[in-house]
Amino acid sequence: MSTGVLLYCSNTPTYQYHRVAERCVELIKKNLKLEITIVTDAETYKKFKPLGFINYKLIEPELGNKRNGEQWNQLERCHAYDHSPYDTTILMDCDYFCYTDNLLTYTNIEDDFLLHDKIHDITGKGTYDFRENSIIPMLWATVIVFKKTDRAKRIFDMVKYIKQHYHYFCKLYRIDFPNYRNDYAFTMAINQVNGNKQQTFLPGKIPTLPALAKIIEVKETGIVFEYDDKINEIENQDVHLISKEIFNV
Amino acid sequence: MTVGELKQKADLSYDISVAKKNALERAESRQIIAHNEHLFKADAQTICLVKTLSEQKDKFFVLDTNDNPCEIKDPANFLNKLIERNQETLNAYSQIHETFKRR
Repeated sequence: MSTGVLLYCSNTPTYQYHRVAERCVELIKKNLKLEITIVTDAETYKKFKPLGFINYKLIEPELGNKRNGEQWNQLERCHAYDHSPYDTTILMDCDYFCYTDNLLTYTNIEDDFLLHDKIHDITGKGTYDFRENSIIPMLWATVIVFKKTDRAKRIFDMVKYIKQHYHYFCKLYRIDFPNYRNDYAFTMAINQVNGNKQQTFLPGKIPTLPALAKIIEVKETGIVFEYDDKINEIENQDVHLISKEIFNV
Repeated sequence: MTVGELKQKADLSYDISVAKKNALERAESRQIIAHNEHLFKADAQTICLVKTLSEQKDKFFVLDTNDNPCEIKDPANFLNKLIERNQETLNAYSQIHETFKRR
């Protein structure tokens, strides 16, 4: 049974995502010690520095999705089931930095599709209270652990269908987030596949540093960030980074 | 104490509270363990349950973090794993907690 990590990474005119992915890969190699596959486009691929043994899958990214008026490539994740060469896959955003081996725990279980339903805002400001933004509780597609089962395939097929009819499903679930967002696409797909019931989740909360926190330094063991005119640090804790300005320097 | 000093103390209190919450989150996420292909949280409740059941039976069922039943056939080994992980996380948390006291 093979286990590996699947990352999606495409640069945009605003962000050098390959530089985020490079740091992410270093941490995966150090802490998870799993095989890695990066799904990327040819232009982004050329910019990657040598990262050792990595499987690359080159695709033509779908364009058209925007966030805050900027290009936002988030449209390929629904193909992860087909793109993954592994029996058990940790599909994660390349801005999720594994400072621990906690994710390995989730690869040795019988559940075939797990993601987080709770989030922890590291600044303590409760930035991510989206409960009023849809009629179903939002799930977080930042980290998804799935196996190659019929049920997992059904979920990904449903995400593809939802992507095609995204605005219809947004109206159905009263989601007030007009551009395509994987978090909502997977939330709706799971709700549909499970017969309008929610499913099983990854335990715990996804630790997230919101965009308002400016990252000062990405260290070997953690992140130094500035928020509210104060410098803070988190160490030896997985973290989802929203602000990516530091990687453009 | 001046208003400025009061504000400084209040800010410090707030910062410690946020840092404590983050440290607790870190400890709690580390408390998740896999056993027999099921996920469990190595917290006081699980440890007490497993300890109590293991005193009565050699094999028993418990619910995992997603309420799926899991048969525990090796209670001693499971309890040992739970306690080890629980103490590992609380030991790390206690070290961070010491730094709060010094602030």
